Amino acid sequence: MEQKKSLVVIPAYNEQNNILKVIWEIRQNIPDYDILVVNDCSKDGTSETARKAEGVKVVDLPCNLGIGGAVQTGFKYALAHGYDYMVQIDGDGQHIAKEVVKLADAMARTGSDMVIGSRFLDVRSFRTTWSRRLGIRLFGLLFRVLIRKKVTDSTSGFRLYNRKSIELLSKYYPDDYPEPDAIILLKKHGLEIGEVGVEMREREHGSSSITPLKSPYYMAKVILSIFFAYIRTRW
Amino acid sequence: MAGSLYSVQLMGVVFSLILIISVFFMVRARMIREKYSLVWFLIGLFTLVMSVFRNLIDWVSNLLGVYYAPSAFFAILIACAYLLLLSMSVSISGLKMQNKALSQELGLTKLKLEELEKKLKEGNAD
Repeated sequence: MEQKKSLVVIPAYNEQNNILKVIWEIRQNIPDYDILVVNDCSKDGTSETARKAEGVKVVDLPCNLGIGGAVQTGFKYALAHGYDYMVQIDGDGQHIAKEVVKLADAMARTGSDMVIGSRFLDVRSFRTTWSRRLGIRLFGLLFRVLIRKKVTDSTSGFRLYNRKSIELLSKYYPDDYPEPDAIILLKKHGLEIGEVGVEMREREHGSSSITPLKSPYYMAKVILSIFFAYIRTRW
Repeated sequence: MAGSLYSVQLMGVVFSLILIISVFFMVRARMIREKYSLVWFLIGLFTLVMSVFRNLIDWVSNLLGVYYAPSAFFAILIACAYLLLLSMSVSISGLKMQNKALSQELGLTKLKLEELEKKLKEGNAD
């Protein structure tokens, strides 16, 4: 059988303290994966630090595009270089590299085009704020109504994509807070979505980009874009 | 029709002329594209005509069924401003999309270039 090519995309913004640890962990646990760091115009030495790791490719974006634009750069790279699979592992060290195996198993088992690593499916370890849980429950309800699919962790960025998803998302990927709308987008294009329980770490450095002040905006924006992703027929 | 000129009319005329002339020069200097200047010229012309012919606004508000004539004037101007703002949002969204695509392309191209340079150096070293 022909060897399948797999890529890890690490979107990173000001992660010079975490990035090498993240890369090291990927090398230890899933050595077959190539690594692409997308440095989203960091103000610190993220790019220089990442380049210290042998064989890691680094894309430096000239302006800060936000998580959506950074990850889409990864999709475009994966498409151009003929990768069969792509997994997103955030630069802050939240996602655990050895859990990628669970994502890959789930994809092979279910034939899904994208597998989401969920913090809330048969895993008890992860504690998060009540407001975030409420948000995720609300999105879950929306997904059940709109696409008749149970999604327990629609905001998780820890995802494995196959070639079909890569092709679609390199063309269209939402800008900010892209994770929930991407689910609808894939579903609307007839792609299958799976979910598997994984462990995640509490963050060590930095804090969530969604502050209490921003969270009503976040909710409104995401609900609006889920709605438009749902009714849009032409992309 | 204009009768004697009131100072508020004079102010209106002066303001409109300043607007029209500045937009004219900004287009000439390529600070505003022709496409976007059009609506500004229309607004300038509208306020100019309304200032010169005082009775026109009474006629328009009568037509629209507005009792207090100046509010018809304001309503029309606010509507224009809304349209203008909406078109700005459309332009900004378009720019943002193009900017995103360009940044991504540039980042990826830079990486490709780096790799080519590295390969070239290795080739020369042999």
